[in-house]
Amino acid sequence: METLFYIAAAVTLLATLRVITHVHAVHALLYLVVALIALSLIFYLLGAEFAAALEIIIYGGAIMVLFIFVVMLLGPLAVEQERTWLTPGAWVGPSILALVLLGEVGYLIVAGDLPAISIQEPRQKAVSIALFGPYIIGVELASMLLLPGLIGAYHLGRRLSSEAR
Amino acid sequence: MSLQDLIVLTPILNLGIFCLVTMLAIAFRRNHARIAAFAFVACLLTLATLPWVASATPRAVTALLIVDRYALLYMGIVLCTTMMVIGLSYHYLHIQFRERDGIEEYYLLLLLATFGGLVLTVSVHFVSFFLGLELLGLSLCSLIGYVRTRRHPMEAAVKYLLLSISASAILLFGMALLYFESGSMTFRGVGMVVKQVQAVPGLWLGGVVLVFIGIALKLGLAPFHMWIPDVYQGAPAPITAYIATVSKGALVALLLRFVTDIGALELPSLVHLFSLLAVVSMVVGNVLALFQQNVKRLLAYSSIAHLGYLLVALLAGGPTAAEAVTFYVIVYCAMTLGSFGVVTAYSREAGDAEQFEDYRGLFWTRPWLAAMLALSLLSLAGIPVTAGFIGKFYAIAAGVDAGLWWLVLALIGNSVVSLYYYLRLVVTLFGDKPASATTPQGLAIESPQTSGWMAICSLGLVASIILIIGIYPEPLMELIRTSVSNLLMVAQQKP
Repeated sequence: METLFYIAAAVTLLATLRVITHVHAVHALLYLVVALIALSLIFYLLGAEFAAALEIIIYGGAIMVLFIFVVMLLGPLAVEQERTWLTPGAWVGPSILALVLLGEVGYLIVAGDLPAISIQEPRQKAVSIALFGPYIIGVELASMLLLPGLIGAYHLGRRLSSEAR
Repeated sequence: MSLQDLIVLTPILNLGIFCLVTMLAIAFRRNHARIAAFAFVACLLTLATLPWVASATPRAVTALLIVDRYALLYMGIVLCTTMMVIGLSYHYLHIQFRERDGIEEYYLLLLLATFGGLVLTVSVHFVSFFLGLELLGLSLCSLIGYVRTRRHPMEAAVKYLLLSISASAILLFGMALLYFESGSMTFRGVGMVVKQVQAVPGLWLGGVVLVFIGIALKLGLAPFHMWIPDVYQGAPAPITAYIATVSKGALVALLLRFVTDIGALELPSLVHLFSLLAVVSMVVGNVLALFQQNVKRLLAYSSIAHLGYLLVALLAGGPTAAEAVTFYVIVYCAMTLGSFGVVTAYSREAGDAEQFEDYRGLFWTRPWLAAMLALSLLSLAGIPVTAGFIGKFYAIAAGVDAGLWWLVLALIGNSVVSLYYYLRLVVTLFGDKPASATTPQGLAIESPQTSGWMAICSLGLVASIILIIGIYPEPLMELIRTSVSNLLMVAQQKP
């Protein structure tokens, strides 16, 4: 089990390193997704299945959506761009790392034993009760936090009439 | 959540509701004057709830917040300062946005930032601390880049964003370490660990240091001050005033509570670290300010030095320290508002008045404005009869009380050095007015002759505050004493 952890950790580190060093934003994004998936595997190995699932859904999912947005927003050039971006050089690295992770997951399924290291982990119900019980103010504050983000993005992102060209 | 909890939270709820109503009002009909008045009234009404709430305090609302007189006092500071900034902003924005296009969101963002500031003053938990800080930081980031027609604000906004992100990352890492070591996210719980064991755990110490670095980054204490001059220079003048006063004041409120609750000043290693930060801040701020030709940058460096003075007061520990820090925050807010207020009032459409040359001979064209700036600068320098003198005196007294001789000596020495650059600017104000034809870019010709009545009123109010506190500080001291005793009393209670 420990070996699995070290492999996953190595994958995370490698992928994160490539995120930082890569010059191309979209390629860096591919590595980022791999890093996040590897991180969720580490969470799982530590016995925190709920955190692992959240990591996949929120980070992996959200990042993937952003990725698709970038491609979509390019409009008519998208197909051409996609061809140049997804050259073998771009996807081979992340794929190998992802395959390593897949191998680990496969081993876990075949071996059939649950992670030995188990930390007491609040499950979904406990998390929800905590969020809407003692931490209700935190939830409300987080919802207020979205407002400046929204307003700021709206103001900074839109075209002013004085700069209409 | 009982009714009593809601009553105690009234100021925050009130401002939160007003944020939403302001947003709807903007969506319904855009009108600069109306929205500005609306934002002003929102702050005024929130301010009016404070005395009413005071009777029900202190009261902890869930594990996240505690409303006590200390928090209410800082809320008052934050709200008053915000109202002044709104007053200063109106005419400034009127000039900057000739097209009347998208001005109104400014006030909404200002209210949201203030909301974050209020949350910071009542936080006793990492969750509310972090969310409040982010509310403040995120709103400020958009506000700094608000005047999109100019290049510098955008640059400053990006810088502030990067600073904000790195500060948050460091802060979160520190919080994670503290949680790991103590199993608690309330300040009190974090502090309990050290009181129970003999040797302080290394990870705990590391966590506290990281949290402090995060706060120091936001406050702009010396080794972490790189962003301050650039952001101060690039941001629109009223927002610079806001960053310098509200965002720092609210954070100091939190810092004082955090330090008191976790008992950081009982650990010699942390005291040494703070002392180092304080001395470096004072020296770096004052030395770099000596050679500035840009008024906004000069004030930026001087603000770094002033936070160093404030840290000296904080290090003294005990009730005197809390009083001195609070007093200094009030004084510092007033003088900073005064100086940046004049920069705001004297700014043109093309850009803020920030060069020394812009101010040469200001006294002969706009005597009141020049007098106001001179008063603020003299107060910043700590000349008697101004509020700055009393503030510095209080800080020194607290330091002497605690026997921090080296820090007090450093403070006095630095104050002497700082006199040079403040007086240099004051002398410039009374200097010969350059012939209009010879000024580069013809600045003297297009210098504004009016600044809007709201800005003038705000400046007048700030000036009278500086003078009143400078001459007759006793009522304010009494108010602070009663409020702060509350903080210490609560801190001593066992949970």
